[in-house]
Amino acid sequence: MKTKNTSMIKLKFILNGKEIELETLPNKRLIDLLRNDLNLTGTKEGCSIGECGACTVIMNGKAVNSCLVLAGEINGSEIITIEGISNDGELHPLQENFLKYGAVQCGFCIPGMILSAYALLKKFPNPDEEQIKEAIAGNLCRCTGYKQIIEAIKNTKIS
Amino acid sequence: MISKFNYVAPNNLRSALKFLSDKKTNSKILAGGTDIIPGFHIESKRFIDTELLIDIKKIPGLNEIKEKKDYVEIGACVTFSQITESDIIKQYFPLLAKAAETVGSVQIRNRATVVGNFVNNAPCADSVPPLLVYNAKIEIQSLTKKRQIDLQKFLIKPYTTALKKNEIVTKIIIPKPDPDLKGDFYKLGRRRAVAISRISLAVLMKKKNDLIDEIRIASGAVTPIGTRLYDLERFAKGKQANSETYKELAIQMGRLVLEITGLRWSSEYKLPVLQQTFYQLLERINSDEN
Ligand code: FES
Ligand code: FES
Repeated sequence: MKTKNTSMIKLKFILNGKEIELETLPNKRLIDLLRNDLNLTGTKEGCSIGECGACTVIMNGKAVNSCLVLAGEINGSEIITIEGISNDGELHPLQENFLKYGAVQCGFCIPGMILSAYALLKKFPNPDEEQIKEAIAGNLCRCTGYKQIIEAIKNTKIS
Repeated sequence: MISKFNYVAPNNLRSALKFLSDKKTNSKILAGGTDIIPGFHIESKRFIDTELLIDIKKIPGLNEIKEKKDYVEIGACVTFSQITESDIIKQYFPLLAKAAETVGSVQIRNRATVVGNFVNNAPCADSVPPLLVYNAKIEIQSLTKKRQIDLQKFLIKPYTTALKKNEIVTKIIIPKPDPDLKGDFYKLGRRRAVAISRISLAVLMKKKNDLIDEIRIASGAVTPIGTRLYDLERFAKGKQANSETYKELAIQMGRLVLEITGLRWSSEYKLPVLQQTFYQLLERINSDEN
């Protein structure tokens, strides 16, 4: 493989409500940018190929896999990570309910799971079970068996 | 970290085409990225030598579904989520909407594009069989030329298409079908979500006086590339629209697919499933119509 020269790219975007401007390498993925450059390690990397959903974040209101988005692609967009949904240390109602319904075991899948649920509730505030299952079908959990997760989401009301 | 490349996001088609036609640089188009980005990650041979990615999502108009008098256009950056949410698509091309729902997961559908699904010509591209039965064409553009080609002719063999290095597929053009054509799409994957398809089928049929007046059949995943089964269509035309015929068609379908693919380790499992599925699909379309 030939060595290639790469030039830095400039990005401007909104991250968890704050405007960010930075320069980075074009071959970084959004997950690399979040975890390594911005120290937001709540976003997890599982499979790296779009199958597990551990890296899910919200981009312009939609759930996306941050391992499938390049840094350059987020220019001008709005990103929300798990760090951005709690309010001054106060948990989001979804997070409260995940605790209340025992939906968390090892916790690795949970940031992604919560953000998929977050995107769902923004679109359908009262989803039925089918809609919930569909929304989290791209989020694998190897611990809980999903039942408690579905319960937690079903019982969350957000304004 | 994935291997090195440069990234540009031009805001008009002309400048994207200019980047693309620079012969000194090994460049690739980036739309949804759901195939390319993990491709880099696993150091796939298809992508490893890429020096420049040209992101076309900033080009105005490419992310739109447009209804015209006799046809509908789907831009190169339209995602599967847009397809599943579009009333125009649901009204005229329900099989395409249904196929789009089975693609990946919400997260994948929010990024992956329909055009990206077939420009790589992977055998398992779920959107291909529906597009084929709807007689989809695609529009291709280079710096000097614009051309249209039938999707079936565009797909040459697995991972090979009629696209030249300096060309971009800008849109899909699908004629609005005869409203009397009724049909269905079926996909069998290993599990419900994020499944790569093993078998997919799309069928459109029109009956007249209990005879099959017109039928269009396309398969994906079981055949090396998504393909219309014209021989089978000709065989079916004019036959009685009843269970007898459908059984016969299912048997013929099995033979045909075996002819195309040759005997494989999986044939013994796949063929009966394929035949049974196809038969049920025909029965279902038949009863929907009555
Ligand atoms: S790490 Fe992104 S989907 Fe698994
Ligand atoms: S809680 Fe462990 S993977 Fe979900």
